[in-house]
Amino acid sequence: MNTQTLSTSLPLVAADTGRTPNKALARAGEIAARFSLGLLAPLAILALWQLASAYEWIPVQILPSPRQTWETFLDLAARGELGEHLSISLARVSWSVLAGGSIGLALGFAIGLSARAKAYLHPSFEVFAQFPVIGWIPLLMLFLGIDEALKIVAISFAVVVPVTVNTYKGILAIARDLLEVGRVYAFTSRQTLLRVVIPSALPSIFSGIRQGIMQAWLALIFVELLASSEGLGYLMTWARQVMQLDIVFALILVVGLVGFVLDWVLQKTENHFLAWNPKGL
Amino acid sequence: MTVKLSLQNVRKTFRSRHADEAFVALDDVTLDVEDGEFMVVVGPSGCGKTTLLDLLAGLTRPTGGQILLDGKPVAGPSLDRGVVFQQYALFPWLTAQGNVEFGLEAKGAPSAERRETARRFLGLVGLAGFESHHPHELSGGMKQRVAIARSLAYDPEVLLMDEPFAALDAQTRETLQCELLRIWRVSGKTIVFITHGIDEAVFLGQRVAVMSSRPGRVERVIDIPPEFKAGEDIRAHPEFGRLRHEIWRLLHEDGERAREDERDARRLAVAA
Ligand SMILES: Nc1ncnc2c1ncn2[C@@H]1O[C@H](COP(=O)(O)OP(=O)(O)OP(=O)(O)O)[C@@H](O)[C@H]1O
Ligand SMILES: [Mg+2]
Repeated sequence: MNTQTLSTSLPLVAADTGRTPNKALARAGEIAARFSLGLLAPLAILALWQLASAYEWIPVQILPSPRQTWETFLDLAARGELGEHLSISLARVSWSVLAGGSIGLALGFAIGLSARAKAYLHPSFEVFAQFPVIGWIPLLMLFLGIDEALKIVAISFAVVVPVTVNTYKGILAIARDLLEVGRVYAFTSRQTLLRVVIPSALPSIFSGIRQGIMQAWLALIFVELLASSEGLGYLMTWARQVMQLDIVFALILVVGLVGFVLDWVLQKTENHFLAWNPKGL
Repeated sequence: MTVKLSLQNVRKTFRSRHADEAFVALDDVTLDVEDGEFMVVVGPSGCGKTTLLDLLAGLTRPTGGQILLDGKPVAGPSLDRGVVFQQYALFPWLTAQGNVEFGLEAKGAPSAERRETARRFLGLVGLAGFESHHPHELSGGMKQRVAIARSLAYDPEVLLMDEPFAALDAQTRETLQCELLRIWRVSGKTIVFITHGIDEAVFLGQRVAVMSSRPGRVERVIDIPPEFKAGEDIRAHPEFGRLRHEIWRLLHEDGERAREDERDARRLAVAA
């Protein structure tokens, strides 16, 4: 939202000055302003962190300095340990998104397209969706143990709900007059599905997948913290147990950063493919 | 002349959430549209014009009576009838070009031909240069013109148009009216054209069906004599003024009657 208002006001600034160097300068200024505004809060937190560790408000064993955290991060990265655990975690997320996403799409299309499926599935699904993923884990452990299957299934649960909900909402919200156009052109149900229903529901479906991936990332870390011998969450638990809190801090930053990058990439993809959608769902 | 579309004692009711008995949108509508005829329908807002058009398109079924196309009952929509919807109904994810091509695709035209035809018809409605715009980048009138181009391009035998020129400025409207008449003359299409504009009705139609409201009925069908339409500026012809006035009077009387009915209803409600 914010970036949009800023970027639309950009040409006005440039038009006022007229000359090209000023235009470039104004643009650079705008971009700098945009970033510096967003960076203000993190910088403040970093400063506070630095102060807290410099004056030892909290003992170093518990709160490592930003500098030491950074060095630990570089060290972890250099030794390949970070990459190894990160790729394991990302693989888990990918499999879960694939599995949970497919199930979510199938359920969403079923509920959205068939009144009968809706009658059968929708009420139970509404209830199912109210349980947080974490609530399922003890039960899942009972059936699946604490191996890889547990992780994939638990994380998939986190993906299924937003994907299903957004898919059927998107399908049920299709404007009636667009369906009528399809009927006027004597479309088969297949054509209606491909040419009218899917394109029209796509923004909502995409937003569901995006939410699903973000949920998967959060669920992943949680599951790995709880029961795992590999992955970022495991590394974090291990570091805490051996009181290497600099590693914990470095990993927290990595988790946040990966989440941020994921969301950013998904948003860019969405903007690219759904440029026609002025609402930008 | 053969009859293309025939409405016989057509009745359409809607179940109402506001009242116990069903709402009568159309009551006992009987009307024949001949092959190649330009039939205009005028009537006050809410009298059932769009309802009538949906029935002709086959999008809805009549509650009573029957609708025949070439003598056979209308079973549903089909490619021989094109519709210009009152609300445009463009696909927001397709460009103007894509929206026009869409109808041609349904007909199975090859892609090069589709592209060419779509460009030609967008040009025809004055939208050359806007081919790659999405609907949200177009004004209301421009969207309406894309919808017109879409239905013209795909060349159905029967064109059903629901106030297709309502959102246009006078200039563009006049251009498109003439263009539509030209297309109609060369193609021999049957056109059912809904409008609020009395001038437009007299200018375009061979016959004008005047509807009354509550319930929706065809009050009178007025012949527009073809002779005076040959002249230069037919709007200046005295006959034009006479026909215009006649339609106006029919609509006006209906309006008065509706208002009186409302007053009576209110009086009854007060008395009760
Ligand atoms: N699906 C529906 N359900 C219930 N009532 C309806 C439905 N469609 C139309 N109506 C009612 O039928 C009447 C006629 O509606 P219609 O849309 O045909 O009017 P119209 O003549 O096209 O009006 P306008 O000139 O404003 O477009 C209205 O009173 C409307 O409330
Ligand atoms: Mg209408």
